[in-house]
Amino acid sequence: MKKNEPFGELFYRSLKKTLPIMRNAIILLFVGILQANAIDSYSQKTRLSLNFADTKLVTVLDNIESESDFFFLYNEKLLDTERKVDVTANNELINIILDDLFRDTDVKYTIIDHKIILAPESLTKTSETSKITEQQQIVVKGKVTSNTGESLPGVYVTIKGTTLGVNTDIEGNYSIQVPDDKSTLLFSFIGFAPQEVVVGNQNVINITLSESMLQITEVVVTALGIKREKKALPYSVSEVKGEEFTQAKENNIGTALVGKIAGVNATGLNTGPGGSSRIIIRGNGSLTGANQPLYVVNGMPIDNTTPGGSATTNGGAGNVDRGDGMAGINSDDIESISVLKGGTAAALYGSRAANGVILITTKKGVAQKGIGVEYNSTFTMETPSIFPDWQYEYGQGDLGRKPTTKSEAIGWGRRSWGAKIDGSDYIAADGLIHPYSAQKNNIKNFYQTAKNFTNTIAFNGGSEGLTYRFSLSDLNSSSVLPNSTYNRKTSNLNLNGKFGKFTVQALAQYTLEDAKNRPTAGDATGNPNWTALMIANTADIRWLSPGYDALNNEIPWNDADVATNGYFVVNKFQQKDTRNRFIGQASINYDIMENLSVKGVVSRDFYNYNYKFIVPTGTRYSVNGNYNALKTDVAETNSMVNINYKKDFGKSFNIVAMAGANSRTYEYLENSISGSQFIIPYFYSQTNLNTITPAVNNQKIETNSIFGSVDAGYKGMVYLTFTGRNDWFSTLSPKNNSIFYPSIGGSFLLSQAVELPETISFAKLRASWAQVGGATPDPYAINLTYSMTPSSGIPLQDVSKNSINNNTITNANLKPLTSTTAEFGMDLQFFDSKLRLDLTYYDRKTTNDIVTTAISLASGYNNVILNVGELKNKGIETLIGATLVKAGDFSWNTSYNLAYNKNNVVKLAEGLDQIQMATTVNNYAYINNIVGRPYGTIVGTRIQKDENGNTVYNQATGNPVATGLQVLGNGVAPLTMGLTNNFSYKNFSLDVLIDGKFGNKVFSMMEVYGTRMGLTKLTLPGRENGLELNGVLADGSPYTRTVSKENLRIYYDNFKSYSEVFLHDGSFVKLRQIILTYKIPVNNLSILKIQSASISLVGRNLAILYRKTKNFDPEQSYTNSSNQGFESFGLPRTRSYGLNLMVKF
Amino acid sequence: MKKYLSTHIVVFLFISTAVLLQSCDKGFEDLNTNPDASGKINPEYVFSKAQIDAARNQAYGTPGTMQYTTTFNEVAGFGSKYIFLQGNAPYVVFNNGYVREINEMGEVIRAIKDDPELINELSAARIWRAYCFHLITDQYGDIPYSEAGAGYTKGIYKPKYDAQEDIYADMLKELEEAALSFDPSKKTFGNSDLLYGGNIDSWKKLSYSLMLRLGMRLTKVDANLAESWVKKAIAGGVITEDADIAAITSYSNGQDINKNPIANSWLSEDYIRANGRDNQEGGKYQKNFIDYLKANKDPRLGVISVVWVENGTGYKADTAFDLQKGMPSNFINKPADFGDYSEPNPNTMLKYEAPMLLVTNAETNLLLAEAAIRGWYTGNASDLFEKGTGAGLRQWSLYGSAGVIDQTKIDQYIAAHPFNESGSFEEKMDQIHTQLWVALFPNSMEAFSNWRRTGYPQLVPNVVPGNVTGGQIFRRMIYPPSEVNLNKEQLDIVIARQGPNTFLTRIWWDVETAK
Repeated sequence: MKKNEPFGELFYRSLKKTLPIMRNAIILLFVGILQANAIDSYSQKTRLSLNFADTKLVTVLDNIESESDFFFLYNEKLLDTERKVDVTANNELINIILDDLFRDTDVKYTIIDHKIILAPESLTKTSETSKITEQQQIVVKGKVTSNTGESLPGVYVTIKGTTLGVNTDIEGNYSIQVPDDKSTLLFSFIGFAPQEVVVGNQNVINITLSESMLQITEVVVTALGIKREKKALPYSVSEVKGEEFTQAKENNIGTALVGKIAGVNATGLNTGPGGSSRIIIRGNGSLTGANQPLYVVNGMPIDNTTPGGSATTNGGAGNVDRGDGMAGINSDDIESISVLKGGTAAALYGSRAANGVILITTKKGVAQKGIGVEYNSTFTMETPSIFPDWQYEYGQGDLGRKPTTKSEAIGWGRRSWGAKIDGSDYIAADGLIHPYSAQKNNIKNFYQTAKNFTNTIAFNGGSEGLTYRFSLSDLNSSSVLPNSTYNRKTSNLNLNGKFGKFTVQALAQYTLEDAKNRPTAGDATGNPNWTALMIANTADIRWLSPGYDALNNEIPWNDADVATNGYFVVNKFQQKDTRNRFIGQASINYDIMENLSVKGVVSRDFYNYNYKFIVPTGTRYSVNGNYNALKTDVAETNSMVNINYKKDFGKSFNIVAMAGANSRTYEYLENSISGSQFIIPYFYSQTNLNTITPAVNNQKIETNSIFGSVDAGYKGMVYLTFTGRNDWFSTLSPKNNSIFYPSIGGSFLLSQAVELPETISFAKLRASWAQVGGATPDPYAINLTYSMTPSSGIPLQDVSKNSINNNTITNANLKPLTSTTAEFGMDLQFFDSKLRLDLTYYDRKTTNDIVTTAISLASGYNNVILNVGELKNKGIETLIGATLVKAGDFSWNTSYNLAYNKNNVVKLAEGLDQIQMATTVNNYAYINNIVGRPYGTIVGTRIQKDENGNTVYNQATGNPVATGLQVLGNGVAPLTMGLTNNFSYKNFSLDVLIDGKFGNKVFSMMEVYGTRMGLTKLTLPGRENGLELNGVLADGSPYTRTVSKENLRIYYDNFKSYSEVFLHDGSFVKLRQIILTYKIPVNNLSILKIQSASISLVGRNLAILYRKTKNFDPEQSYTNSSNQGFESFGLPRTRSYGLNLMVKF
Repeated sequence: MKKYLSTHIVVFLFISTAVLLQSCDKGFEDLNTNPDASGKINPEYVFSKAQIDAARNQAYGTPGTMQYTTTFNEVAGFGSKYIFLQGNAPYVVFNNGYVREINEMGEVIRAIKDDPELINELSAARIWRAYCFHLITDQYGDIPYSEAGAGYTKGIYKPKYDAQEDIYADMLKELEEAALSFDPSKKTFGNSDLLYGGNIDSWKKLSYSLMLRLGMRLTKVDANLAESWVKKAIAGGVITEDADIAAITSYSNGQDINKNPIANSWLSEDYIRANGRDNQEGGKYQKNFIDYLKANKDPRLGVISVVWVENGTGYKADTAFDLQKGMPSNFINKPADFGDYSEPNPNTMLKYEAPMLLVTNAETNLLLAEAAIRGWYTGNASDLFEKGTGAGLRQWSLYGSAGVIDQTKIDQYIAAHPFNESGSFEEKMDQIHTQLWVALFPNSMEAFSNWRRTGYPQLVPNVVPGNVTGGQIFRRMIYPPSEVNLNKEQLDIVIARQGPNTFLTRIWWDVETAK
């Protein structure tokens, strides 16, 4: 660093954010940000409440900075920051507060958006030009203003290449003597892009400095809820403000993250309004362990389990997505979400950080007179948006003819192997005569318009010592599937108090979720989607309605009873679940001395869940019915204590140190019963079952940890971070149950240190390295156990078949996996920060991965747990932001994120080259992890070809020969992107989000069956006159045969043997979200005391701009498990559109 | 005061951190013990489970292939139509067998083998393990045997496939050794033995009866070897009384696992509606089976089979002889007269509490008759045939009152079906094994093995479009795809040795022509 850089002179007061828990003034200052519309300048919409008596000015400024986005710029030599002040403000604008603070002083302030420049009126030019000889002197004068017209005091004006310079005065005027006309003047001011001007023959040089977009003091929430300056971070952290979730709502916050953050691969499931989300940060990191990130609310972990487990890829009736923990979070309570992407960011979370951390900060109250009220209401509607591209040339039937009797029509209810569609009469499954015409609207006719209505009201207020925010929210959703609903009620209370040296915070959230008839996906049984998608193409699905007869028994519609009548499922199947969830947190912070504080926190996330699923009497595949119930109690409890110390060593060096300990207990207690055969028909009680089999799944886990960190900063230019954590796990072998995780990181602000070309307004380099653990096994995985099998006779005992480690070989030597991440990145800003670029490269290696792998059943077991896996994720993340237009009332901001993750399975167990993760119904395709391939590879068969490309036929069967299992493609998209455009003009703003994923494949079960049933266009050749096949036999000799049109169905049915036929590129680009907002001018409504109001038109998932799957949405995911890459008769994807209203009183 | 407080807090924190550090893994072992599973095996309970599991693992069988049953439905018609569209039918015996009974027997033997006091339990366990293995090898041919079920004990996750020849040698050796090891002075499995309540003599007879069954299996591939084992079995003493039939008892209510597995699966898959019209999978008795019983005026017909007839408000199961009609197996759509075809008698076949017969007096006597005509046994073939035939009729009384056949009717049937003393060897074989086919019903797995060995009864294959065998009856079941996925190297070796993994590849003892 050059000593004569102006920044050395002008002490720039930034947010030297350390630990918020250490700040003693939090309670005395509250900020309510009424950020209803981006058009307003920040200062005009930000109101602050504070109360200080006899306090140093610097403390007051510090706290305004910490609790708002304002920051102060001033020359420390010229401002008496030690002056004691008294100030009281109640929900006041900043200029009122500043007037108060600087009354009777000569300090003037200038507010430029978030910047507040302070300078004494007496500020005059310095006289450091004395060294220049008289004859060389040319005097240059001028005025420096901002691009918005304000005078800029304190701008440092130097002669380039010398140490000589002056400051502008309070009016922005300067005067400087330069040696000659070749001199170059350099104008520098923090927060503005520097400018250089060659003096030439000018005597007056007026300069307009452009505001730098650089958010140099952007503060983000990091591990353990610690707020830190973004510029100091050695790793990439992305923050999304709460506003982004409150208008175009997704019920699940995870789903709302889709497309917003580079490197975060988020997917919402098409499982209805109470469904889960799946988030993968920087690729799948564990072969068979959990891959979703840790969720943290206000610094403490919460639970994100799906009670009873995720839906499977191939399950039948009741294979539903019961909703994850994120489904219970109300987006209107969220202040911000920070995503800690890598091990380095999350290292303080130790074993749980391997997959990254999602930090949610909830809104707090603001001290004010009376009560602040916020009301947010959203109403949206949803309709199916994707329809299969079936053939409508040949209709219902078989053997090339249409049904002639009711019984035939039922037998062929899902066969479209009939005659050419000609509009003639035919007898359908309802026994009535109907025209033999294409029925293209079965999806529209079967599903309904879904409605989502969300209302949140929040109250906040309080006095200096105690503030509160209390919100109530009601979310009412109906699914596109009739009779399927989801209701969520949330209340959230946030209390903050300050009593002397004690600061307390308490959070209580209660959520009640109530879901009815969540949709099944996977197999045909009890899956209503199956009927809508597979019904013969000349049958109107409404002919099957209501699906039951006078005795309430299912009316058959096809030859296979397992393919349940969809109307019967909708009308008679009963599925209900409720989740009562309570999240409580309490913390006390005590300031032992000025630099030392101690904090204790206890948090508990507890829920109980009740699920009941009834297959009613009269169901064709289960005549006397079935009953399944699940009751789950889950508690995640954390107790943490930490000591924080901070110290400034002079002006250039400061450290923040922290040490703490945490104890985590996790309990998952599940009782389930499965029963069959209702003794009294149609009476659905657990007491009325012929057979009841109970099962329990009780898991207890404890992890104890100690951790510490040291952050050091030097002159706002170099920052270093060290962390360490040691975890002890109850679930591991006592021999190996402890592990230490270190991390180190540094960032270097290049633009502070050296002179860069003018176009570069900011440059930062960062690097970090961390080791964390993860994927700690389920409990009880280290010892072989024997469990009792429910028996009505002699006692029966089973080997290793309890519900926790179901038929898995245990491992007495398990240890946690290690995930090592190295990350390098740079943040660059160009053209007065109008163009911003973040680049990150990471290399994440997982070793000793705990692998639960399927093994040959002949081993006596289904699975084994091994500590052997190795997995690599490498990737780049790019974020490009640009202010494309900022002219008058119009602005256009754009942000583009792109991430590529290269995943590679390096090693499985000794002698294992692949492990099976999941299969489709009937094993038509597999998801395997294969050495040398990315995580989640889709495996299946192809049609055998000879070297000339001829199809090889099997003479005995007359069908093409299927190859053995081969790699077909990746189930997980390696490339993800998102593009956000924000336009604003006066009171209008428009947000458009487009996102895409590329490079993955999807295997479609619907197309397998659509082909077997004669619905896909693939099945058209040969319908009229039979199909001639030409190819070769295995020995190379030519083979031909003609498949008669009567045998065509059997021929095409066999296509299920060739997985590749149903595999498609899953890449897509979607118009994900549009929000058009009008900010209602509220000045005229002051009688109603409305502070702000806005109304928005919102839409989500509006259009697919690019896709390769003709028959379905490539995002047709129905499980939040690690097994992605199959489509299997889930609920259709929908588009939603509606209105949002936000009012503040 | 303030300073005092501060100091105290700091000291407190340091102490508590130190305490925490020392106890960071205190109580972890207790915490990590599954409250719902025992770390200790109860060998007798696992043995009971393995008995039930092995019995259940035959319920699937191939009743359609043996032409007892059929359906118009393609998927369920796998066995009778040789169409394999989807499902696990060819794999179930493999998939269930290893993770259940094979693994369980391995654990039982591991727990008791070193205790000389438990020699009787060990012997029964060895016999039962041989029984479990023979069910699997007869379906597939070469199978994992010596390395099977060793995932936990030896860490073998990709077990090799042993040649069936070696497997047979070992199973027979096990039966022989185990039968000779019983010691009446030592304890037994007692009530946990669902077959014999721990009766040693019965176990010996079962062991020698299995030796007879397995020995006979070898007649085509190695007649000399077959002879030596058959003679050894006869010398040891096989089952010759109804009282020694190996059968698993079942219960009418409670857990599914305790119900008769055939009744349970047939009811839930097809016959629960009890009207003969709405059978979920379209199941009925096959024409060939019913025709044979009718042609021979077999009194078992009404015991086994009913036709549901309309009875005013509902349907009644009618056992009338003339009413019985088997369904042809080549239907691919539900016939209009579906309700007129015969299906299992709810009072015998579909009773949850019916016993599951595993090795019967009928089978041993009929096999002894074969031994006699081969000259391997001095008994009188005609007498043995009669004894076997009579036992085959009498055994239905184990199904309850609806299964009891009058002794007069049995005598009449025997009289009407005298042993063809003057017939050729093949004619005698035809007669013995066609009778055994009926006597084995519903044990289609054993019938399938016996048919492959002897060629009797003379079954005419069904030819239905879309079949996977070119219209031929299966010669084996195929290895599951999971083996292709998870144990490919070993599977490749066995395919090279045994032949392609198809339904028509013949297993070792099923050679094309007798040697």
